[in-house]
Amino acid sequence: MSAETSSPQMMGGPAGPVVLGSVERKRKPLVGRFVAGLVYGIPTVVILCPMLLFLVSSFWSIHDGNLNRHFTLENYARFFADVSYWGVYFETLRLAAYVGLFGLFSGYILAYLIWRQQGQLRYLLLLFSVIPLAMNYIVKVFAMRNILGYNGLLNDALIFAGILDKPSKMFVFNQTAVLISMCVIYLPFAILPIFLSLERIPLNLLAASADLGATAGQTFWRVVVPLSLPGSVVGALFVMVLALGDYLTPQMVGGSQGFTFGRAIWSQFGMAFNWPFGAALAVMLLLAIAVILLVARVLSKMGRSS
Amino acid sequence: MISRERITIGVLWIFAAMVFAMLYGPAALVMVFSFFDHRGSLIDPSTFSVKHYAGLFSDDAILSALSNTVEVAVVSVVVATILAVALAYYMRLDKRRGRGYVEFVIFLPFVLPAIITGISLLTVFGQLGVDRSLFTVAIGHIVIVVGIIYRMVMVRLEALENSQIEASSDLGASHFQTFRLVVAPQLISAMVTGALLAFTISFDETLVTFFLVGDEPTLPLRLWAMMRVGFPPEINALVTVVLIGTMLLAATGASLMRRSIAGKGAA
Repeated sequence: MSAETSSPQMMGGPAGPVVLGSVERKRKPLVGRFVAGLVYGIPTVVILCPMLLFLVSSFWSIHDGNLNRHFTLENYARFFADVSYWGVYFETLRLAAYVGLFGLFSGYILAYLIWRQQGQLRYLLLLFSVIPLAMNYIVKVFAMRNILGYNGLLNDALIFAGILDKPSKMFVFNQTAVLISMCVIYLPFAILPIFLSLERIPLNLLAASADLGATAGQTFWRVVVPLSLPGSVVGALFVMVLALGDYLTPQMVGGSQGFTFGRAIWSQFGMAFNWPFGAALAVMLLLAIAVILLVARVLSKMGRSS
Repeated sequence: MISRERITIGVLWIFAAMVFAMLYGPAALVMVFSFFDHRGSLIDPSTFSVKHYAGLFSDDAILSALSNTVEVAVVSVVVATILAVALAYYMRLDKRRGRGYVEFVIFLPFVLPAIITGISLLTVFGQLGVDRSLFTVAIGHIVIVVGIIYRMVMVRLEALENSQIEASSDLGASHFQTFRLVVAPQLISAMVTGALLAFTISFDETLVTFFLVGDEPTLPLRLWAMMRVGFPPEINALVTVVLIGTMLLAATGASLMRRSIAGKGAA
């Protein structure tokens, strides 16, 4: 930083407006290169390299508890050969898709209602829909289990209402429990992006629609929805990605039945202790995520251009 | 027609109220439980007390987990803020060709699920022979939050007039002087907001931390361990304290952000 004091201006360089970059380029030699090296080097070394090494490690193997760094496809072969992994893979994709759909549907309704408000109320409602983001994740999982459990509030409420005679075990330790919990935990992530995509609609379009005699319903379906849907779907897709990678919620509320792909990966780094195979499974997850993010990118470009 | 619209909106509000109840209900329930002895969802009103809270402050495992968490959060937020501000200012000075690349890389941990970031860092530490500890956790948290602080700072930097920086350098200020005297004062609110947000994220971070933690747990991991062995009565109290603490932090961040946005509008 200290070498930055030698800018051309101080040495009687050209007066008048100076293009910022040119200053930088003139004193390029050593310090400039060093700084550039740090700027591009740190993110590369700390973030990109680990991710690349993780990709590479999925082609390694474990033999008799020892890591073998020779290239092999056996981890992938094992995944593709075992139908049960496929089952969990698609089951988890479906689960995450449901969580995303729930986020889109409920998030849209909430965001739309908030968007229609004005002034203080609007800000307050928006605040209330993002506060759950700041609630600790583990706490939310814990709270969900409290409610869904055998002695939980849901069972007690259903018994009180006369719908059940005795507590049911159908709300906990299965896929339904995982689905319900994830819907609650990840919904707040959908509300804000949907609200922002509603915010991007120019208000004069709504006025024009009303001037031309459209009813509120017509304006909503023909103007508001088409303009905000791409951005909203992008929000829902991000929720889907979050649900795909979650491995603790299923463990806590899912029991032995609520097995997800995230848990399969996690177990390879825990009890099973086969990191390369775990990495290969994670690469398969990454492939699904890459497709989702690609769709999100195309959609968000569409949303901006329209 | 108008009445039909009213009905539709009314139904939507009822739905929204249900969703809000769903978002806040679980946490509210835990808070209520923390003051009572309870069996299932039945509370005995006569058992109201704060003894579960008192229990927390005599539990060494919880206290040390709390101090671990704060330690990691402070270190990672300070390092990440410095890094993020330096990166953002460097990219802002000139239309850098590498900006797209750097932004792509630092946003990766934000876009990809935590499990991928966790595995990647774990693999590197494993290969380098670095034992898992609070140090590796802090690295993980830096990686996660640097992109968020960068984004916050960059939004503010981009709103800054080029002419201010040019005028400063015309008047003979060095890059560093320009940064210190012209840019930094206008950046403070964005930096503080970003740092607070990052602190909240680091405080709550669980899914990456799980891969990187050694034998000194952070608070969320301690909570997890407590839940695995059963449901000790203190857990509701602990959860309440954590909830209120993180939400206060986030609320401070939100109000600061609102003020900085309002300030920008007025300027």
